[in-house]
Amino acid sequence: MIAKFANWLDERVSWRQVWDAIFLRKIPKVNWFYTLGSATLFVAVNQAVTGILLTLYYVPTPDHAYDSVQYITTQLPAGWLIRGLHHWGASAMVVLVVLHMLRVIFYGAYKYPREVSWFTGVILLLVVIGFGFTGYLLPWDQKAYWATTVGTRIAGTPPIIGDTILRIMRGGEDLSAVTLARFFGTHVWVLPATLMLVLGIHLYLVIRIGISAVPTKEN
Amino acid sequence: MKEKDEISRRDFMKVVTLSIGGLIGLGWGIPAIAYIVGPALKSNQAQAWIRLGSTSKVELGVPTLFKVTVKRQTGWIVNEEELSVYVLTEDGRNYIAMSNVCTHLGCRVRWIAEQGKFVCPCHNGVFDKQGNVISGPPPRPLNQYQVKVENDQLLILGG
Repeated sequence: MIAKFANWLDERVSWRQVWDAIFLRKIPKVNWFYTLGSATLFVAVNQAVTGILLTLYYVPTPDHAYDSVQYITTQLPAGWLIRGLHHWGASAMVVLVVLHMLRVIFYGAYKYPREVSWFTGVILLLVVIGFGFTGYLLPWDQKAYWATTVGTRIAGTPPIIGDTILRIMRGGEDLSAVTLARFFGTHVWVLPATLMLVLGIHLYLVIRIGISAVPTKEN
Repeated sequence: MKEKDEISRRDFMKVVTLSIGGLIGLGWGIPAIAYIVGPALKSNQAQAWIRLGSTSKVELGVPTLFKVTVKRQTGWIVNEEELSVYVLTEDGRNYIAMSNVCTHLGCRVRWIAEQGKFVCPCHNGVFDKQGNVISGPPPRPLNQYQVKVENDQLLILGG
């Protein structure tokens, strides 16, 4: 029954071709360090799932942000788990992305013909850091507030343009409702959209070009 | 013959991958469902006895309006809500307390003393002084609260 439907669908949309290209592609004999990218992808999916769930209750305004987070953590069934997964997943993302990058550096996998994979990877690293920076403010507790005060102040240190950058990030002179709202909007709309686009290219290239082998003494 | 019974490495990996994937999926899915439907399953706040006021305010045979503010928590927001209750006694010992919420569509009914009836302004629902439906669309009598009297103070059970 299922096989029959799979065939019916394959005849119309050729999904097997896509499936094979993704999951049955040829890869060289590699080691466990080559799974760091997949591990990052897995945690990214976790972040997306738990993040979407968190938005069901989270409200990004100064008078509700903290209380809604407390409500999620203490009142809702499994709320502590959803928030915990998102919280620890965020740290895991940064760690995994960096390890993944180190693997690429040490095995020389950024070289021809994989330069574009590397460039998109660098953008993805910045996106992940952006997620971490904007997400950190959202619980709207003391730590969040002061970390963002300091973080935006650091962004404001360059000469001449510094003050403008600071004002744009904060949406004004001080940290306020405007800051919280724009950090939230960036966290749930701007960055996810960017991530999907760039990650799409990144993964397409991994599949299109194939992954690099472990380099040998000769090369 | 033996060869045939053995499961291939490829099939084994397939089963293992699907099983672990399924477990992880459940690990997300079950908490997610509990998390989403949680607030819907929560029954309306624990009920508590709410003090209305002194029994001496209630006139014999005439529904008397009491207004109290109660705190009600929805999600992470605590609201003050005004509760309006009509209390009726015929003998000064047995009390009934009625909600002023019309059982039709939730408008507020008012006691019209001249007519001796409760009237709902929305769709002309009319109730007698015990809260029974006289005419109009309401499907059932006005809701009643459980009442008790302690030291000449009226208390109702509500949330």
